[in-house]
Amino acid sequence: MIEVKNLTLTYPSGKGIFDVSFTVKQGEIMGYLGPNGAGKTTTIRALMGFMYPDRGSASINGLDCWSKAPEIQRFLGYIPGEIAFPDSMSGVEFLKFMHDMRGTKDTKLQNQLLEMFELNPKGKIKRFSKGMKQKLGIVAAFMHDPQVLVLDEPTSGLDPLMQNRFVELVLSEKQRGKTILMSSHIFEEVEKTCDNVLIIKDGRIVEQSDVQTLKASQRKGYVIRTKEAGAMAQDLKAVGFEASVIGEDVVEVFIIAQEADRFIKTIAGFAVMDLDVKAQTLEDVFMHYYSREGER
Amino acid sequence: MMSVALFKATLKKNWLLLFIFFGVLFMYAAVIISMFNPDDIAQLISMLDVVPEDMLKAFGLTTAITDITTYLASWLYGLLMTSLPMVYSIILGNRLVAKAVDNGSMAYLLSTPNSRAKIIITQGVYALLSLAVLSAALFGIGVAMCEAMFPGLLDIYAYLKLNVTTMLVNMSVMMTAFFFSCLFNESRLSLGFGAGVPIAFLLMTMLGNTSDQVKVLKDLSIYGWYDPVEVVKGSNVLGLNLIYTGIVAVLFIAGVLIFKRKRLPL
Repeated sequence: MIEVKNLTLTYPSGKGIFDVSFTVKQGEIMGYLGPNGAGKTTTIRALMGFMYPDRGSASINGLDCWSKAPEIQRFLGYIPGEIAFPDSMSGVEFLKFMHDMRGTKDTKLQNQLLEMFELNPKGKIKRFSKGMKQKLGIVAAFMHDPQVLVLDEPTSGLDPLMQNRFVELVLSEKQRGKTILMSSHIFEEVEKTCDNVLIIKDGRIVEQSDVQTLKASQRKGYVIRTKEAGAMAQDLKAVGFEASVIGEDVVEVFIIAQEADRFIKTIAGFAVMDLDVKAQTLEDVFMHYYSREGER
Repeated sequence: MMSVALFKATLKKNWLLLFIFFGVLFMYAAVIISMFNPDDIAQLISMLDVVPEDMLKAFGLTTAITDITTYLASWLYGLLMTSLPMVYSIILGNRLVAKAVDNGSMAYLLSTPNSRAKIIITQGVYALLSLAVLSAALFGIGVAMCEAMFPGLLDIYAYLKLNVTTMLVNMSVMMTAFFFSCLFNESRLSLGFGAGVPIAFLLMTMLGNTSDQVKVLKDLSIYGWYDPVEVVKGSNVLGLNLIYTGIVAVLFIAGVLIFKRKRLPL
């Protein structure tokens, strides 16, 4: 169980996290979302015991994250947001080194993970591609079968196939009762794996809810190609949508699920050459939410 | 107190650096020892006639050579046996802590059940042990070469005494670089202070040697507290050795305590 209570950790620049509180229960997967620089990694630094908080506390399974960091590491798996391996090691040496440092010997799980992510750890890590480094980070975080996992952008650099493998891995770990805190930018990943979601902005938690509720308020973006772009944008705006002309003959519009009918009827009068769902990151999905918070 | 796994990894990563410095110092020792001529010390000294006196003093070269032991104390231990290990210490000191924090790989060490203190103590012990090995190897080789070329001429006890004091002063410098490596999170700062302070000490000693007017510079430098030639001639160095050992201990402990308590931007 991860427990964060009134955690404040500020940097000399004045940035940081302020009065952050949340709990990730045993067997729960918590998604941790927010724009860049909002404080996700800072929270994780406090959980890992890399930085002590100014106020408040963070604990994992009842152990204080700052004073009991080495004890916590016995049952914790961690993927750093920016993975940096000890330079000059090979992948094989690194995994062996992590086993030695942890005092673990069983390589069964390690080999399963290597197979699952189709990673050959031979060769210098320096020569690995970004995706291979990320896979190596995943293997190192899961191979000692930790009860609790703290994952900072765990799938960055992975191709979609491997992102899916990762989702499978997280779901199977969830079945085995693991407690996971995962920061992510990929909505599908969070949607498929997480029970609950925390949203942080400017160092403060602005929303904490279950994934289903968030999905209902999720906005979708559409990109429409039409000869009458200007007129269409005007009509869409007239009925209350957020629409704009973003290129020659291209209109971009954002709607939420229950407005779909009205949206289709509005554009039905135009000659639509193409209609695309806009590829969305979590930032896009919650942009609406973020900006509303900003205006308050 | 120490992590064997980390010690092995540190050794594997850094043995080559030690070996290179050992190779260079070995070469200097071999050349200087083979240049010695017990039958004509005057000729040896005359080689220095072309060098200005101030420069001789700055480089710790003395013309008051009576035998091979004082000769080595001056020509080999006057500058080379401290300045080259200083460069080694600057490079290694930074590598062992600050560089790993700066590039982020320290996160992996700390994501294992090893305390910060244990990790830093392991790195510091490697730093000191590597210097001990360097000193022992060079001492052994020096004695062997002297005995092979000039049997019976080297005062081995005096030479050992000189080697011990030189090793302790080099360890003090190593711990200076190591301390700054623990203090700073950026390689840039760790290297700046870790190199700047020892280099300043070395320059202060060289300057202080040249003239009595600036002798105070030498007194302020940890390199300036002993004269290698006086050490082999029999001056008592026990107190001095204790002071250097104290400096090593204080800097080591301070480095560990600071690293234990600071915020790491990992």
